Amino acid sequence: MRNRKTPTIELMAPAGGWESFQAALDNGADSIYFGADQLNMRARATMNFTLADLPEIASRAKERNVKSYLTLNSVIFDHDLSLVRRTVDAALSAGISAIIAADHAVIVACKDAGMPLHISTQANISNVEAVRFYAMFADVMVLARELSLRQVKAICKVVNEEPVIGPNGTPVRIEIFGHGALCMAVSGKCHISLHTHNASANRGACVQNCRRAYKVIDLEEGHELVVDNEFIMSPKDLCTIDFLDRIVDTGASVLKLEGRGRSADYVATVTACYREAIDALNDGTYGAEKVGGWMKRLETVYNRGFWGGYYLGQQLGEWTDGPGSKATQRKVHLGTAEHYFPKAGVAQFRMEAHQLHVGDSILVMGPVTGVAEGTVTELRVDGRPATEAKRGDTVTIPFERPVRPSDKLYLTVPA
Amino acid sequence: MVVITQQRERCIGCNYCAELVPDRWAMSKRDGKATLIGAVQRKGFHTVRVADDELEANRAAAQVCPVKVIRVSSV
Repeated sequence: MRNRKTPTIELMAPAGGWESFQAALDNGADSIYFGADQLNMRARATMNFTLADLPEIASRAKERNVKSYLTLNSVIFDHDLSLVRRTVDAALSAGISAIIAADHAVIVACKDAGMPLHISTQANISNVEAVRFYAMFADVMVLARELSLRQVKAICKVVNEEPVIGPNGTPVRIEIFGHGALCMAVSGKCHISLHTHNASANRGACVQNCRRAYKVIDLEEGHELVVDNEFIMSPKDLCTIDFLDRIVDTGASVLKLEGRGRSADYVATVTACYREAIDALNDGTYGAEKVGGWMKRLETVYNRGFWGGYYLGQQLGEWTDGPGSKATQRKVHLGTAEHYFPKAGVAQFRMEAHQLHVGDSILVMGPVTGVAEGTVTELRVDGRPATEAKRGDTVTIPFERPVRPSDKLYLTVPA
Repeated sequence: MVVITQQRERCIGCNYCAELVPDRWAMSKRDGKATLIGAVQRKGFHTVRVADDELEANRAAAQVCPVKVIRVSSV
């Protein structure tokens, strides 16, 4: 296991399912947040956990000395109240480290049950008085993504000097977003998806129609106005790795990576880069050369282009210029793992699509495996050495990390 | 005859169906999801056969469902 020094800032990674959960564990997250059932901001995701998964999540995280946080942060209606209580009880008895919430019903339920609480970005905390208020209930709270670093620093200064004490008797810890999607709305308070599709973002059902291209039409005369960028409501993604020293300098103690809706290879890459960056800050080796390397790696996975968000107080208008990802790599599904021979260090796959060649870069993803990357140094088809494997073949490849039956095999290619 | 089907597991409990057709849909206080009144469950799909006069209102419910787990067909 990685030598875990006292981190200057806790690295919190997202998990939308077991694959990304394991990827976060393997790539140096200090804590992992995830949703279970429908009362969270990624309710639409088919890959959410259920309450029955909580004990395994808690125990797999504890084994690695990693904290586990359950998001229960959607808008809550009366008919949800019993599920809220049940979820809080289930999290408490499973040994989940804390619940992330914004609705007062969840806050009260956690207080009543003695469940540690974090305040979600849905509460969009933007001033120190709000921090003082929530400190009656929560030990950790995330600030709105729209604050500048000066504002973050000012809040952290008051919190630490005063200090603002949380329910556990220690100063509250301030969390900020480090990487991932941004909304045009203040920290998720958006109703576009609700108005157009009856799909409330605040119930975790956002259809992300802000990410599309739009025209401006004069309804009286029908003129279509030219807009420089058609994607007028879709900001680029937040990336702070190139000014992480300034992020840590604010005094914030938790760095959150966005992306419960993203794939496991995204979680693996982003977590690994920020882990290395935080460690580099700790040992004094953080610098431009390393930043360049991390930026290149971050660009390989899903992104809408990067900017520093609102932290640096730049002029606004950093809109993306396309509908989807600008990732420099994409993955192509090839097949499914069948067996691993631990002594020989060889993995066996059934090829279901495309071809695999010696020299190809591959990725294996699974609920226990997480994300394992490798290069094909040699391959055997049906036991005989070969240079190519195609659909229908049973292929064996030397592979350092164990894979499990049903794990998915992908080829990684330039996008 | 009208057949209404709900894939209940994927319901996120938004409440729209229960607002539109309160006689056919109710929000469960047990798990916060919408319950299709009178339905029989088979392999995760909850199905009920109702009279033709319920067609229009339940079609509207299916249309507004944000996760599209309601199917209404006239047979």
